[in-house]
Amino acid sequence: MGDALRSQEVGTLRPDGNVGTRTKRYGGLERASGAQKYVADLEFPEALQVAIVTIPVGCADILGVDTAEAEAMPGVVGVLTAADLPSPMPRFGVSHKDRPVMADGRVNFYGEPVAAVAALTQEQADAAARVVKVDYRELPGVYTLDAALAPGAHLVQDPSDPTKRAGDALRETNVIEEQTIAWGDLAEQEAKAALVVEDSYSYPMMTQFPIEPLAVIAEPTDVGGLTLYTPVQHPYLMQRIVAGLVGKTLGQVHVIAPDPGGGFGGKQIPKYEPLMAFLALKLGRTVRLTLNLAETTTAIRRAGATVHARTGFTSEGDIVFHHVRIDYQIGAYADVAPRVMTKGSYVGGGPYRLPACLIEARAVLTNTPVSTAMRGYGAPQISWATESQITDGARRLGLDPARVRLRNLVENGEEFVKGEFAGKADGEWKQAVEKAMELAGWDDPLPPNRGRGIAVGIKSSATSGLSQSLVRLLYDGSAIVYAGTSDMGQGARTIWAQTVADELGVPLEKVTVISGDTDLVPFDLQTSASRSTVFMGTAVLRACRDVRRQVREMYAERVGVEPGELDDEPGAVLTAEGAVALDEAARIGLGALRGEVLGQGTCRLEGRKGHPLGGDASFYEFNCSISEVELDAGTGQFVITRHVSVSDVGTELNPIQVTAQEEGGAIMGIGQADMEQLVFDEHGRLLNPSAIDYRVPTYKDVPLELFTSAVENHDGPGPYGSKGMSEGPILCTGAALGAAVTAAAGVKITDLPLTAERIWRATRAAAEGAIA
Amino acid sequence: MSVGTGSLVTVTATINGETRTFTVPGHRTLLDALRSELGLTGTKSSCTEGECGACTVMLDGHAVNSCLVLAAEVDGHEVVTIEGLSVDGGTDLQQAFLEHGAVQCGFCIPGQVMSAEYLLSHNPDPSVEEIRDALSGNLCRCASYNRIVEAVRQTAEKRVSTRG
Amino acid sequence: MVTYYKAHAVADALEVLGRKDVDARALLGGTDLLVGLDDRLDSAPGVVVDLKGLADETPLAVEDSGVRIGLTVTMADLVANPTVAAWYPALVQAAGVVGSVAIRNRATVVGNICNASPASDTAPALLVHGANVRIASADGERVVPISEFFVAPRVTTCGRGELVTAVELPRPVPGTGSAFQRLTRRWGVDLATVSVAAAVHGDGRIQLGLGAVAPTPLLVDLPAGTDLADRAVLDPVLDEALAVATPISDIRAAADYRTAMVRELAARALQAALDSTRRTQA
Ligand code: FES
Ligand code: FES
Repeated sequence: MGDALRSQEVGTLRPDGNVGTRTKRYGGLERASGAQKYVADLEFPEALQVAIVTIPVGCADILGVDTAEAEAMPGVVGVLTAADLPSPMPRFGVSHKDRPVMADGRVNFYGEPVAAVAALTQEQADAAARVVKVDYRELPGVYTLDAALAPGAHLVQDPSDPTKRAGDALRETNVIEEQTIAWGDLAEQEAKAALVVEDSYSYPMMTQFPIEPLAVIAEPTDVGGLTLYTPVQHPYLMQRIVAGLVGKTLGQVHVIAPDPGGGFGGKQIPKYEPLMAFLALKLGRTVRLTLNLAETTTAIRRAGATVHARTGFTSEGDIVFHHVRIDYQIGAYADVAPRVMTKGSYVGGGPYRLPACLIEARAVLTNTPVSTAMRGYGAPQISWATESQITDGARRLGLDPARVRLRNLVENGEEFVKGEFAGKADGEWKQAVEKAMELAGWDDPLPPNRGRGIAVGIKSSATSGLSQSLVRLLYDGSAIVYAGTSDMGQGARTIWAQTVADELGVPLEKVTVISGDTDLVPFDLQTSASRSTVFMGTAVLRACRDVRRQVREMYAERVGVEPGELDDEPGAVLTAEGAVALDEAARIGLGALRGEVLGQGTCRLEGRKGHPLGGDASFYEFNCSISEVELDAGTGQFVITRHVSVSDVGTELNPIQVTAQEEGGAIMGIGQADMEQLVFDEHGRLLNPSAIDYRVPTYKDVPLELFTSAVENHDGPGPYGSKGMSEGPILCTGAALGAAVTAAAGVKITDLPLTAERIWRATRAAAEGAIA
Repeated sequence: MSVGTGSLVTVTATINGETRTFTVPGHRTLLDALRSELGLTGTKSSCTEGECGACTVMLDGHAVNSCLVLAAEVDGHEVVTIEGLSVDGGTDLQQAFLEHGAVQCGFCIPGQVMSAEYLLSHNPDPSVEEIRDALSGNLCRCASYNRIVEAVRQTAEKRVSTRG
Repeated sequence: MVTYYKAHAVADALEVLGRKDVDARALLGGTDLLVGLDDRLDSAPGVVVDLKGLADETPLAVEDSGVRIGLTVTMADLVANPTVAAWYPALVQAAGVVGSVAIRNRATVVGNICNASPASDTAPALLVHGANVRIASADGERVVPISEFFVAPRVTTCGRGELVTAVELPRPVPGTGSAFQRLTRRWGVDLATVSVAAAVHGDGRIQLGLGAVAPTPLLVDLPAGTDLADRAVLDPVLDEALAVATPISDIRAAADYRTAMVRELAARALQAALDSTRRTQA
C-alpha cells in the first residue's frame, strides 16, 4: 500500500535546515506571555457552570436521587441524572464498552458521577450540588488487588449484564483480560542456574497530575449538532465516541481540542465529555465544567501493580530464565487498561537474550477510579520488578550490574521476545548503556553512604496507526500545515513547522501549524505511544513531497518540458539550467489565476491479527538510567546526587526539545519512584487528591546533577531516521533509583515509592535481623 | 460599624499600571477576578490552594498566589500579572525560556516567569541553589526545572553585565 | 455568602469578631483561611474580617528587651530582619521553610499560631524562644505564654471576641543558641512530618519544641547541664523527655516512624543549637 509506514523514504537532514537544530518552540512566546488560550481561557459568557454530584464511598447501590431542593436553588437551570439518559444506560470505551455516562444504579468508584447540576454561576452550581440527596447503600467493594482476587470477592462488573461480560470466560472473576507469553523450557533452564532470585514487588497507583486540570465545554449547535471544547490528546476518538453515544454523525460532532496543558496520557479517553454532551443537549444550552487539580487527580490515574518474579542466573551472570506474574489494578472500567496490561507485559522479560521466559499478566477490576494511559504505559510497573531482579542477581553473584546487563542485552536485530510474535531489537542498545556508564562515571569509587544503580527499559511503540496531513503552499510562499497531533508540551507543532520549512524551502516564520479541530484538520488516530514523530511526521513529509511533485509538474507544463526531465529537492525544482526556488516555481506554475498548491500525505500501519500487541511495534523506545544517591541513614532520606538518562532516539529532530522531554521524563520517573502514590481508605475514598498530600517533584527534588543524552544512529522509521521518544526516561527510573538506594543502604526495597520511612524501616529491620 | 448586608464589594486597584474598578462577591479570589472580571487569563488556575504557583502575580511588588488572595483585599493596591510584565516579542527572560527549551506545555510558565522576575527584582544575580529555592513553589509537571534555571541564570548574567 | 469586612482598628475588629449572629473569621495572610473557604463558609452567612489595615497595629518592633511580632508581620518580613536572625535562629529557620516564597510573602506569624496546626513550623521555635502571646478583647489585654496557648488541633485559648495582636519574644540571655530541624517527604515546599526546635539557653536551660507529634506543639525541658555532646548521656535523657510525644499515623507517616524521627531530629537540633552558641561566642 502506498501510504504504509516504510523506512526507505525518510530523507536526510539538510546541513543548513531547521530540522536537527534547537528551533524555538512553536507557540512558545504565547505560552510564556500568557496569551496562549487553554480551554479554561476561552470565553463563553452565556455558558452554564456545572458541578458534579458524587457520594463519599467507592461502591454503593443508589437507592434514590432527589434533586427537588437543588432544582429550586437560585440560579439552577437544570439537573441531569441517570433517569434523563436513554435506557439502557449508554456506555462507552475503547476495547470494552463498559463505562456508563454516569453511575447506572450503582457507584463503582469514588468520584463516579451520580448527577450533574448546571447553574448560572459556579458558586450556585456547587451549592446546589451539595443539596442533591443521594440515598445509597454502601457495598463491600474491592479496593485492593488482594480483595479483588480473593475467592468470593465482590464482582465489580455484574456477570449477568449482557452489555458487559457476556460470553467472557472470566466473567465470574474480576479479571477483565489476561495474557501469557512464553518461550523456552523453564525447568530445563532452571537446572543450569547457579542462583535463582525470587521476590514480590509492588508499584502503587499514581496520577498524571497535568498542571492544566480537566475542563469541558459542550455547546449545542443551531443545526442539531454539538461542539465540544476539551483539551484531549485524541480529538477524533472523542468525536467518534460522543457521536455514537448521542446518536449523531461524525460531521455533527465538532471537537475543538486546544493544546493541552500537559496530558501524559491522562487526556486521551473521554471522562466527563459524554455526560456534558447529554447535559448540553437536554438543556439546549452551553455548559461548562472546570475542575481543579485535586478533582482531576480523582478522575485520572495510572494502574498500580503487584508482581512476583523468579529469575535464574549462571554464576557468570547469564540470565537463563525469567518467570514473572503481574496483576495490574485497573479500576472499575476498562478504559485502555487491558492494553496497558498486554503492552506492558509483552516487554516483561526486558531487552535480554532469554533462553526461557514465562510472563503471566492480568488486568484486574477494582472499585477504584478508572486507570488510563500514562507515560510509559504498562512498562514501568513490570520493569520495576524485572530490573530489580537483575540488580539483585548481580549483587548476590558479586558481579557488576551494568556488565551483567551488557552481557545479556540483545544485539540489533536479535529477538528479546521469542516465538510467533517475536520482538526484535531495532537499535544499538548497548551504546546507550555504555554512554550512560560513561556519563555517570560508573567505575569511579563512591564515598560512604553513597550508592549507584543502573537499569534499562524498553517499551513498544504504536503497533498500528493512521495519520493524515495536508500542506498548503500559498502563492506568497508561506505555508500552512494541518496535522491532528495534539501539542501537549512535546512540541509537535515545532517539528511540523521545521519539517515543512525544510522540505518546501519556506522560512520557519512563514509556516503556520493548525491542529486540534476535527472540522478543519484531517484524521489522526491519536497522540499516544510517542507515535507522532513517526506517523504524523511521515504524513507531513509525504504531504510536502506531494506539494513538490505538483509544483514540478505544473512548472514543467508552463515552461513546456516533460515533467520527467525535471526533478525536485527540498525547496527547489531542478531543471537542466539549475535549481528554481520552489515558491518561485509554484508561482510560475500557478500562473495568473494564482491559487495554491495543496499536498496530501498519509501514513498507515495495519495491525496484525492475533499479535499480543495488535501488531508489530513500529519501533521500540530504549533507555538506560543510572542514579546515584546519598543516604541519610538516620532518617532514611536520600538526595539524588546524580542521575543519567540515555535514550535511543534514532535522530534528534530538535535537540533542545529532546533534552526538555528527556529531563521531564526522568524527573517524572524520579517522582514516581520516590514520592508519588494514591492512597485509598477502606471505603474506597481517595485520601490524597490534593497537591498537599499527592507530592510531585519540585525544583529541589531534581537530582543535583542531571545528565540526559541520546543515541543517534538514524535508524528509526520516522522522518530523517527518527524514533519516537519521551517515554524512555520513565521506563526504568524506579529500578535505577531502587538499586542506588540498595547500594547505599544495604537493603533491598521491593515496594515503591522509596519513601524515607520505608527505607528507614527496611534498614532497621535488617539491623535487628543481624543482631538477632 | 456596619458589616454590610450585601456580599458584593467594589474594588479599585491598579492592575498592570491601569486603574480598574470592578465589583465582586466578597469571597471571590483575586485569581478568579483577574480571569473572569478583568479578562486577564494569562494567570492560570490549577490547584486553587497555594500549592502549584500557576496563579502567581505581583501584589505591591511581591509575588503572591492569587488563589489565596481575596479580590477585595487588593482595593487600593497594585497588581501586576503576566500580561503586565510582557512586551511585544517577549522580555529577555521569556526569550531565554524559549532558547533553553523551558516552555513545554506552557501551563505553568506564566507563574514561573512571575516568580523568576520577583526573584531577580531583589536578587539580581542568584545562584542555581537560590533559584531552585525561590521557584520551588512553582510546580512544573513537564519538569522543565533545569531548563528554567538555565534561562534565569542566563538572564541574570546578561542583565548584570549590561547594567555594568 | 461571604461578606468581606476591612477592619480599621483593633476595637473595630474585636466588635465584628465577637458578634454572635455571624460566623466571623479573621483574615491575615489568607494562606490557611482561603483554602477551601467556599466549602466551609457558603452555607452559613460568613464575614471575613481583614486585619491588614488596622491603624493601631504594631509592626515588627525590635527593642533592647526583645522583639514584638505584630499581627501583620509575614514570614518574609521576619526572615529578612537581621536582629531576629541573630537572636532567634530556630524561628528564622522555621519561618524560612513555611510554604513557598509566595506563601511566605503573605503568611503571618500570628496567623500561623492562631491556625494552631499541630504541624505548624513556627510553633516549636516560638516555644523554645519563650514567646508570649498578647491577646486583646473588649475588656482589655492579657498575655499568655505560648506554652499555654495551644489547646487542641485548630483550637487556642484565644476565644470568640478576642484577637491576638502580637507575639513577644524575650531577648535571649547571652550564650544562647537555637536551631530548627524538620523532616519532609520531599525537598521542596512541604508540610512537616515531624519538626523539632532546640534551644540551649545561656542560663543553662535546655529546651525542645516538638511539632507534628501530638495534638498540639509541645515544649519539653531537658535537665539543665545535660552533656549534649555525649550520646551515652543524651540518649537516655531524650528517651525520657520525648515520652510525651504521642504521634498518630496518617498519610504522611506512621506513628513509630515519627517517634523515632523526633528523637533523631532532637539530637540533631540540639547539636546545631550548641554549634550556634559557639558561633555567637566566637
Ligand atoms: S492555583 Fe494558586 S497556587 Fe495553584
Ligand atoms: S511546561 Fe508544562 S507544566 Fe510546566
